[in-house]
Amino acid sequence: MPLSKIRNFSIIAHVDHGKSTLADRLLEETHTIQKRNMKAQLLDMLELERERGITIKSVPVRMNYKAKDGNEYILNLIDTPGHADFTYEVSRSLAACEGAVLVVDAAQGVEAQTVANSYLAADLNIELIPVLNKVDLPSAQPERVKKEINEIIGIVADDAVLVSAKTGIGLPDVLERIVRDVPAPTGDANEPLQALIFDSVYDNYKGVICYVRVKNGVLKARKTIRFMATGRDYELDEVGVFKPTMEPVDELGPGEVGYISATIKSIDEAHVGDTITEASRPCKEALAGYKKVKPVVFCGYYPIERENTNQLREALEKLQINDSSISFEPENSVALGFGFRCGFLGLLHMEISKERLSREFGVDLVATAPNVVYQIVLTNGDIIEAHRPSDFPDPVKIEETREPYIKLSIFMPDEFVGPTMKLCQEKRGTYVGMDYLAPERVRLTYNLPLAEFILDFHDRLKSCTRGYASLDYDHIGFKADNLVKVDMLLQDEPVDAFSFICHADQAYQRGHTVVGKLKELIPRQLFEIPVQAAIGQKVIVRMNIKAVRKDVLAKCYGGDITRKNKLLDKQKKGKKRMKQVGKVAIPQEAFYAFMDVTKAEDN
Amino acid sequence: MSNPFLPPSGELSLYIHIPFCERKCPYCAFESFIPSRVDATVYLELLEKEFEWWSIRIGKPMFNTCYIGGGTPTILNSQQWSKLIKTIEKYCNFTPSAEITVEANPNSLKAEHLHAWRDWRVNRVSIGVQSFDDAELEQLGRMHNSAQAYEALSAAIVSGFSVNADFIFGLPGQTFHNWSRTLKDAVKTGVDHLSLYQLTLEPGTPWENMPSENLSDGYYPYRWAQWYLPRKGFKQYEVANFSKPECESKHNINYWREGEYLGVGLGASGYLSEWRYKNISTLQEYADAMTSRKSAITSGERLTPEAKAREAFILALRMTDGVYRDQYKNKYGAFYEQMLLDILESFPKHLYEITDRNIKLTTKGMRVANRIWLELI
Repeated sequence: MPLSKIRNFSIIAHVDHGKSTLADRLLEETHTIQKRNMKAQLLDMLELERERGITIKSVPVRMNYKAKDGNEYILNLIDTPGHADFTYEVSRSLAACEGAVLVVDAAQGVEAQTVANSYLAADLNIELIPVLNKVDLPSAQPERVKKEINEIIGIVADDAVLVSAKTGIGLPDVLERIVRDVPAPTGDANEPLQALIFDSVYDNYKGVICYVRVKNGVLKARKTIRFMATGRDYELDEVGVFKPTMEPVDELGPGEVGYISATIKSIDEAHVGDTITEASRPCKEALAGYKKVKPVVFCGYYPIERENTNQLREALEKLQINDSSISFEPENSVALGFGFRCGFLGLLHMEISKERLSREFGVDLVATAPNVVYQIVLTNGDIIEAHRPSDFPDPVKIEETREPYIKLSIFMPDEFVGPTMKLCQEKRGTYVGMDYLAPERVRLTYNLPLAEFILDFHDRLKSCTRGYASLDYDHIGFKADNLVKVDMLLQDEPVDAFSFICHADQAYQRGHTVVGKLKELIPRQLFEIPVQAAIGQKVIVRMNIKAVRKDVLAKCYGGDITRKNKLLDKQKKGKKRMKQVGKVAIPQEAFYAFMDVTKAEDN
Repeated sequence: MSNPFLPPSGELSLYIHIPFCERKCPYCAFESFIPSRVDATVYLELLEKEFEWWSIRIGKPMFNTCYIGGGTPTILNSQQWSKLIKTIEKYCNFTPSAEITVEANPNSLKAEHLHAWRDWRVNRVSIGVQSFDDAELEQLGRMHNSAQAYEALSAAIVSGFSVNADFIFGLPGQTFHNWSRTLKDAVKTGVDHLSLYQLTLEPGTPWENMPSENLSDGYYPYRWAQWYLPRKGFKQYEVANFSKPECESKHNINYWREGEYLGVGLGASGYLSEWRYKNISTLQEYADAMTSRKSAITSGERLTPEAKAREAFILALRMTDGVYRDQYKNKYGAFYEQMLLDILESFPKHLYEITDRNIKLTTKGMRVANRIWLELI
């Protein structure tokens, strides 16, 4: 197939604007899939993706299309993940395309991810085809939305395609526009091989399968290839295309999209964004834009049943085979036993991973409250990373603390600006700007500590904008802040599981909440228990759990002795379920409740 | 003559259970039934058969103490009492100074009972007064009022018995004022022994599902009793028991000192040769076993040495004298003493006291005894 007859494109959209439904309709329209074989939203293959209505993994598919000009075309649709946690993956998928269909809900208009994804595409210089979806809805306002696209995204949308993925209106127009407006790929089959890995999955039989877009050169089975980021060589087992099931082909030439397998054992060897070249004739330069993604949100995963630590480890290993952006290392908690500190690309990624562990691997686990990575400059000049409160050194050794920031864009009707600004302010945000997108729609931009964002920002924003806001964010690096580790002390002994990191200004308030909660949850014991929140040596909050004053098994005569013994035994077993920290017995609920407290309090 | 069932020391107690009540109290979990007209008479026949069963095995032993409890022993009329006494005398010997206690309810205690008991060996009467507040008595579902309670107490005292009265605190809605008036009145009646029980919501009783928040705090009434009663000559000698000098219940002390006892009657428990047993607890099964001359015992247990050592320690700590260290070490060994002592010493110092002779809980320790036992069991 000549390059001029190939079109590589993505579909980008804000969540729920109908991206996956549109993709499915296109597959039907091109007879790539028979309607009766169609599960709703075929491309979202994980059960979880379908349930949540979001795409996590990119799934490419190849369509054959006979255009009105009489020519046969190959249309490669590269679906993209739809969440800010996966921005890098989205950018790599887009980098494999020459164009993108920008789907906007004709009733809702431009939302935060519409803008974020459009900017990503614009940065890569790829062509955008605006499509207004859901035009069949009575509330659709295509003219208003076209204007929004013009003004906010800065692309001409006057000739935007009007479709309804639900009823099928406008679908042929979308295909025609793709053929017309998406540039044909360029590339030279005689140049040294350059192919972009835009995603990779693990297959139990074939090992790692890389989804690739060939830029130059040809991928042929049994050639030896090299991954440029890792420098490792592999012999190609299979080369193929997606129809949408995988079908082997002899070769993939420039401009083509397909997959390769090469007995790659671990997904960590096949980084998204890496360039594949020939071992015998390597290209001079790797394709631009590669980076290794680093987890930004961490939390502890612990098995509910303590003896299941190994099961959890195996499940994490398997999950990591499918998703190399997850990191984990063993950790030990006084409260929860042996578990793992896991790193994720964001909150959604964390939640999805937890769900996958339980659904796909049958692991029941407890997740601790998430936290971010802090940078700490020590007085001796060293910089260390802290992934958890216990990584924080003694305050006297700290020269400076830094925390990750995000640039947050929030789109909303202007009536909610006040409460939203108040929320961002409360979350230690720095105002960046505000602009009117349309007479009553506003974009508010704030720089916000990631730690505050992952705490409970989504829920709070939802409640203060009645669900009308949408948001997107970018990581913008570390910024120095006055961060402190707040220790919780029971009877003057610090209890690791309860300590947390926060801004110095919030230490008292949060300390107070946690101390109050612990006081409520830890049962009275025979001695008074001081519960304290402290920063280093300085106690900032103190409450006392009063001692038990009366607990007598009143009567005990001849007939009662056996019964009383059993009663005592039973009570003692109840007590064994509590965790003994020093002399203090702490019920398991206290540890769980602590996670809720650190997740959502400070009102 | 030595018998393998009986303690070599010869110290042996007897418990006889009369499992009948005129009405079931909503908080009580003891075995008892509301009898038909003939039940009590039939029961006494069955009881005699149980004594007979035992006599084949242990002969006619000598008892130091005897406690006839229930249920309501005063539900038996004087004829039935004669029968019961006759049975007991046929199968039991008593030391000359044996302490013989009978439990009585104020509403069913009659002059005929006091006569019958005085003419036999009874020297102690324990009366279930529970409260001197009529509203509280009604709440407890008792069949007597405070006037009847005074009457019963004075009748028993005048008849020359050593008298105990039971009281309950921690009732729903009970005020401190009510409680202190009840105790003050109790002291004035001339009883020489007081048992104070905190209301517990026992499984299998109508009150078991009462929300425990409804109960009043037991701390203040208990602490006040610990302060007040010694000033009126009543020394606390056990978690729930206070007495005038020399008026402690020997029978109950025997339980707490791991003494052996023969338990007879439906639902009764016994402890012989370091073996604890429990009798059948339904009337029909008891009758079947007795008429076919089988044993009334339905279950038994023998503790491991360690469990035994722990139990002995815990039971001894119920008493203000606590553990007699020499005796304890002789019986259970220094190892267990040290083990339990180590646990005890992990508690705040004001809760216990250790001397060369004794290990005991202080007045404050008594209030939280259950928590301490939890670690010792």
